[in-house]
Amino acid sequence: MTTETVKKEQGPAGGSAGAGELVLETSGVTLRFGGLTSLDNVELRMRRGEVLAVIGPNGAGKTSLFNSLTGAYVPQEGRIVFRPREGGEHSLLGAKPHVVSQWGLARTFQNIRLFGALTALENVKIAAETRLKTGPVSIMLGLPNARKAERASDRRAHEVLSYVGLLEKMNELAGSLSYGDQRRLEIARALATDPEVLLLDEPAAGTNPTEKLELEELIRRINTELGVSVLLIEHDMRLVMSVADRVMVLNFGKKIAEGSPSQVQRDPAVIEAYLGAVAEEDEAAVAQAVAEGAGAQEGAGSGADTDTDTDTGADAGAPQWDTEEHK
Amino acid sequence: MSIKTSAAQGAGQDSPKSATAPLSAAARLRKVHWYQEPRWRRLGALLALAVTLRLMTGEEGTTQDLFLALREDFTGVGLWIWLAIAVAVWAVREFLTDQTSRAVEGTKKVSAGPLDRVRQVWSADKRVRMGVLTAVLALVVFGPLGVERYWQQVLVDQIAIFVLLAIGLNVVIGWAGLLDLGFIAFFAIGAYSAAYWTGALPVQPPVALNNFLVLPIAVLTCLVAGVILGAPTLRLRGDYLAIVTLGFHEIVYLMAKNADGVTEGARGVKVERFSVDLGFFSYEWKLDPMPYYWLLVVFIVLAIFLFLRLEHSKVGRAWTAIREDEVAAAATGVPTVRYKLMAFAIGASTSGVAGVAYASKAGYFNPENFAILLSILVLAYVIFGGMGSIPGVLFGAAFLVWLPEYLREWVDPKDRYMYLGALLVIMMIYRPQGVLPSRRRKRELRMAEAGVGGADATGPAEGRQP
Ligand SMILES: Nc1ncnc2c1ncn2[C@@H]1O[C@H](COP(=O)(O)OP(=O)(O)O)[C@@H](O)[C@H]1O
Ligand SMILES: [Mg+2]
Repeated sequence: MTTETVKKEQGPAGGSAGAGELVLETSGVTLRFGGLTSLDNVELRMRRGEVLAVIGPNGAGKTSLFNSLTGAYVPQEGRIVFRPREGGEHSLLGAKPHVVSQWGLARTFQNIRLFGALTALENVKIAAETRLKTGPVSIMLGLPNARKAERASDRRAHEVLSYVGLLEKMNELAGSLSYGDQRRLEIARALATDPEVLLLDEPAAGTNPTEKLELEELIRRINTELGVSVLLIEHDMRLVMSVADRVMVLNFGKKIAEGSPSQVQRDPAVIEAYLGAVAEEDEAAVAQAVAEGAGAQEGAGSGADTDTDTDTGADAGAPQWDTEEHK
Repeated sequence: MSIKTSAAQGAGQDSPKSATAPLSAAARLRKVHWYQEPRWRRLGALLALAVTLRLMTGEEGTTQDLFLALREDFTGVGLWIWLAIAVAVWAVREFLTDQTSRAVEGTKKVSAGPLDRVRQVWSADKRVRMGVLTAVLALVVFGPLGVERYWQQVLVDQIAIFVLLAIGLNVVIGWAGLLDLGFIAFFAIGAYSAAYWTGALPVQPPVALNNFLVLPIAVLTCLVAGVILGAPTLRLRGDYLAIVTLGFHEIVYLMAKNADGVTEGARGVKVERFSVDLGFFSYEWKLDPMPYYWLLVVFIVLAIFLFLRLEHSKVGRAWTAIREDEVAAAATGVPTVRYKLMAFAIGASTSGVAGVAYASKAGYFNPENFAILLSILVLAYVIFGGMGSIPGVLFGAAFLVWLPEYLREWVDPKDRYMYLGALLVIMMIYRPQGVLPSRRRKRELRMAEAGVGGADATGPAEGRQP
């Protein structure tokens, strides 16, 4: 792990620090598995405070990109830089996963990976505690600082659980929660590490429409209220179009497009990639799906203002959607 | 059988001649003979088990008359007793299931009320808990005064020492989930530390110390040994780690055995016993086992007291997380290798304390006291009692050490461990979580069996590092 600390004076670290500044930057990232190139010269530029969606057909390398960003995979070539709010920069290439998490990148998994035999509260506490510095000796001796740390992590975990709306289920086993709740618990666990960048790997997969709307609202709140930059992998185009500020498209490990949701949708390369992936499917259906997405996107708008307008009432979200779509 | 008839009828309708021959062959294959029915198969298995048990418990063979044992076993009354038991078990299982299950339900319902009330009182009132704990402690401390000298010896030399070892191994395997087969190596390191620092080895220490002063040194030595072994190997998973620890044990064991000039080799070492001399107060532990027993109880209570705090703390939760999903734990910011090392080192130092205590009690030991079998036995005690649960581990170690000693009076002493093995086999089939499992472990086992979370969630990691 190489942690060059470059002096990079960044203004007073305010909540919504410079919007144009890059928080995550990769260049030339190439990851191979034997003969298979799962990431091919990927460039990624993520601005602080934005919601950047990564889309692409299955096997495009989206999860591999996440794994490379969080130290789970080590790409053979390339540069991955993370610039924390307090200045300096960290190279994420080949960094240890737990160090990456402590620097401020937290993630969820495509296949939910909770600690199933622990309660929801304990799951979140594990994450909250990673920033506390108490050793086994002070815990064994029951020293005051250990007890204080225990209370602090408890408080923090309660806070985060109530933020995602799981407080009343905190004593249930993670493994016995519903699918949607498990996804939210994973987000809570990631949030408890106090991240600057949150990486969500298909958070809406396997959830029902109501849960999807709740999730959408949650992602927006995390982004706007907590000032966390969100990198989002998602197949649900409506969700992507409504929460993402920008979209990046991967196909066969290559970035084939990048831009605002509406730009990306019109991009011929993207349409082709999806057509190719859907293969022999009715072209008209695909075109319609894309058009539908565009309509939704216009309704949701891309500015932060419109975003907050859309979700001022979580419950009112569902009908709103419909009206927007049929406009 | 019904299948056969209906198939034959169906075929008979269109082309009787050509179709019946192959079909009846298939039907014959499909036909279930009476002896293939599960019920009768179970009877057969039970009868076979009865014969096996008779052979196990029966006459011992001799080389003079090869068939003596067989003849005796098959002619005596014993065989019939075993067969009768088998048939009785089978009959109850097959024909009285309704009654038995109703009876079980009934007792459960009857006992549920009072049990719940006891549990409520237990969890609500701190004074009750303290009272019960004090009573148990008093029983543990003073109870053994009333037993025979032989059992007092067993209690100290074996039960107390193994309980301490099991508590240590529980941290490693029960909480951190690391399969350590070389645990006894640290026990040996503790014992040899005691020998070295009290000046009992051919190589002399800079200063000869009292046995009690050796304790912290042994803890530190084992801690360092644990870290040295763990640092390069804890990146390995499951089976690989087990092999590495096995190798480590073999290295320590063979060094103790072969480095005559340093360790006295197979001749063994004489060690001074515990003694205290504070000027105004001095005491020497001599041949009476009870003072050693009380000393060990202090060690055990201390260890339990310290480790219980760990279980429900940041450290215990981190261990559980690592055990359940190492990739997710690391992604959540848990420094996995550091926590695994911690568990390894804590377990090792407990083992070291046990080593010092053993050496200073026995007064003499040799490398055979640290054979690999002991590692396996301690592991069995932990698993039998219930991994991850301190009460379980205490019970497991105490019961399984006591059992072979107790069996000495009832069966051929040479066969004792055979019964222990049979007990372990039965236990792992019918109660794999152990006698008194920890709540977390029990849930894990239940979830693994039910496959909670779907195939995706329980599947392997999304790839490893390239
Ligand atoms: N650990 C691995 N070993 C071998 N191949 C892998 C591994 N991880 C990912 N891949 C391959 O990389 C490609 C991209 O996979 P992935 O990143 O999971 O795609 P996505 O998340 O976009 O569906 C796939 O072809 C996959 O088989
Ligand atoms: Mg994926």
